Amino acid sequence: MPPPPPPPPLPSSSDTSSVENNARNMPSASSLSSDTSSVENKSSNLFGKDKPKLSVTSLNAWFAGKIALKNINIDIKQNCVTALIGPSGCGKTTLLRCINRMHEMTPRASVEGQIILDDLNIYDKSSDPVIVKRRMGMVFQKPNPFPTMSIYDNVASGLKLNGIKNKTLIKNVVEESLEGAGLWDEVKNDLAKPGISLSGGQQQRLCIARALAMQPEILLMDEPTSALDPTASSKIEELISNLKKNLTVIIVTHNMQQAARVSDYTAFMYLGELIEYGHTAQIFKNPAKELTERYISGKFG
Amino acid sequence: MARLIDLGLNQLTIIILDMASIAEKTVIKSITSYKEDNMEATKEIFKTSAKLRFLQDEVSELTTELIARFQPVATDLRYIKSCMEISYGFSRFGRYAYDIIDTLEIFGPLELCDKSLVISMSEIVLEMMNTGVSALRLLDNSLSNKIYEMENYVDILYKKSLREFAANIKVNPVYSDNRCNISSALILKYLERISDHSCYIADSVNYIVTGLSSPRR
Ligand SMILES: Nc1ncnc2c1ncn2[C@@H]1O[C@H](COP(=O)(O)OP(=O)(O)OP(=O)(O)O)[C@@H](O)[C@H]1O
Ligand SMILES: [Mg+2]
Repeated sequence: MPPPPPPPPLPSSSDTSSVENNARNMPSASSLSSDTSSVENKSSNLFGKDKPKLSVTSLNAWFAGKIALKNINIDIKQNCVTALIGPSGCGKTTLLRCINRMHEMTPRASVEGQIILDDLNIYDKSSDPVIVKRRMGMVFQKPNPFPTMSIYDNVASGLKLNGIKNKTLIKNVVEESLEGAGLWDEVKNDLAKPGISLSGGQQQRLCIARALAMQPEILLMDEPTSALDPTASSKIEELISNLKKNLTVIIVTHNMQQAARVSDYTAFMYLGELIEYGHTAQIFKNPAKELTERYISGKFG
Repeated sequence: MARLIDLGLNQLTIIILDMASIAEKTVIKSITSYKEDNMEATKEIFKTSAKLRFLQDEVSELTTELIARFQPVATDLRYIKSCMEISYGFSRFGRYAYDIIDTLEIFGPLELCDKSLVISMSEIVLEMMNTGVSALRLLDNSLSNKIYEMENYVDILYKKSLREFAANIKVNPVYSDNRCNISSALILKYLERISDHSCYIADSVNYIVTGLSSPRR
């Protein structure tokens, strides 16, 4: 007869060491976790033969001499959604802001390293930050439509700022962008109303439409649904998977399930470093690094 | 601080280990009954087999609930998925234990039969099952290879034994001998199934620990 069962081996409630014990016995997982450098994370074998849309190499960023990003190496695949996850303060927003050259606008902030968009080295002296920004749209955590503008003008503003005067063209782009942001049917009869008269979820889609109007190649989204209810959030999630047909999305999210649902690739950051980067399914089913495992399954702290 | 999901995972572990112990005892009891030509345990084995089915349903309910409530990932997710499969394996152990004693009931008494082939295969299979349960208790996937090796051997032994019975039946078509041959063949089949399910348990342990599907397949 077998002896009475010992206490449950794993996963146990209080004892996180059982996970570590276990990791020691995992030949494949632990050999990966021990010393894969972040440079290897970037390895293009993740994408097969495809060239990355965006390639970040040896990126460091500082705020007033304090380092916020340490030697980040990551390739972003075109027409895919890449999720950035990690605890508060790990540098997700800073990475987005380095990608669209907003970081350098913060007083006493600096950046070093290379970011290549297609064939353009965006930090090259000859590259124009305005052009770089135009190729990238950004959507923020809190919907921020221009408060004094109508729905229509919110979307048209970027075009007008860029000197486009052709009214028919503007009208078409506004309609297409609202269509693309999944908002057209809800607002087509109210285009003259103020943008801020919309609900939070609609305002966020208005901001997406505003970004789309500039026909960006990359859409950077920083926690775009954290202020929204589940219905509005899932609308944005559906929208994201539609948008990736035409552009490349990088999304920061604190919602693990959202990252798992919407993204193709997931990058886990911790204390300014890129810890693990891979296919989303792999990261969530079988992360290579213990730290990733602990973060995504809520075993932190 | 304990995570809320840990309460559920612990409960799952308790049920699974309970099933492991019941399943193992039941198969041992059934094989002993066959060896000793003793049908007394039939009712009890039938009951435990039913209990294992019931526990399998409990595992299924609990795992579904944990997935719905916590949307687990990584090791948690792999553990939950594996528990579903493992609990099915244990309920099959119960079922084959019942099939074995049922065969004795239908064809027996079998005290005049030569049981040596069945008994020697049962010893290997019991060890496989025991090793599988240990691998699970300790979450030690290094035991898997031993189980896979034994399974290869059981497969060979199974085919070889059936051929021997076939040869026996040809030369000696006497009723009582056929009773022996048929019961032996059936029980060998059940043992071969138990061996297979022991491998699935080893696969699951591998999967929990490494995240990789079994290298065997
Ligand atoms: N304007 C700033 N001035 C000085 N330090 C800053 C500034 N913005 C961010 N930091 C610091 O840089 C580090 C990275 O911050 P960042 O905002 O990129 O984190 P995050 O991952 O986006 O966090 P969260 O999930 O809370 O948004 C933090 O240590 C933060 O304190
Ligand atoms: Mg942030």
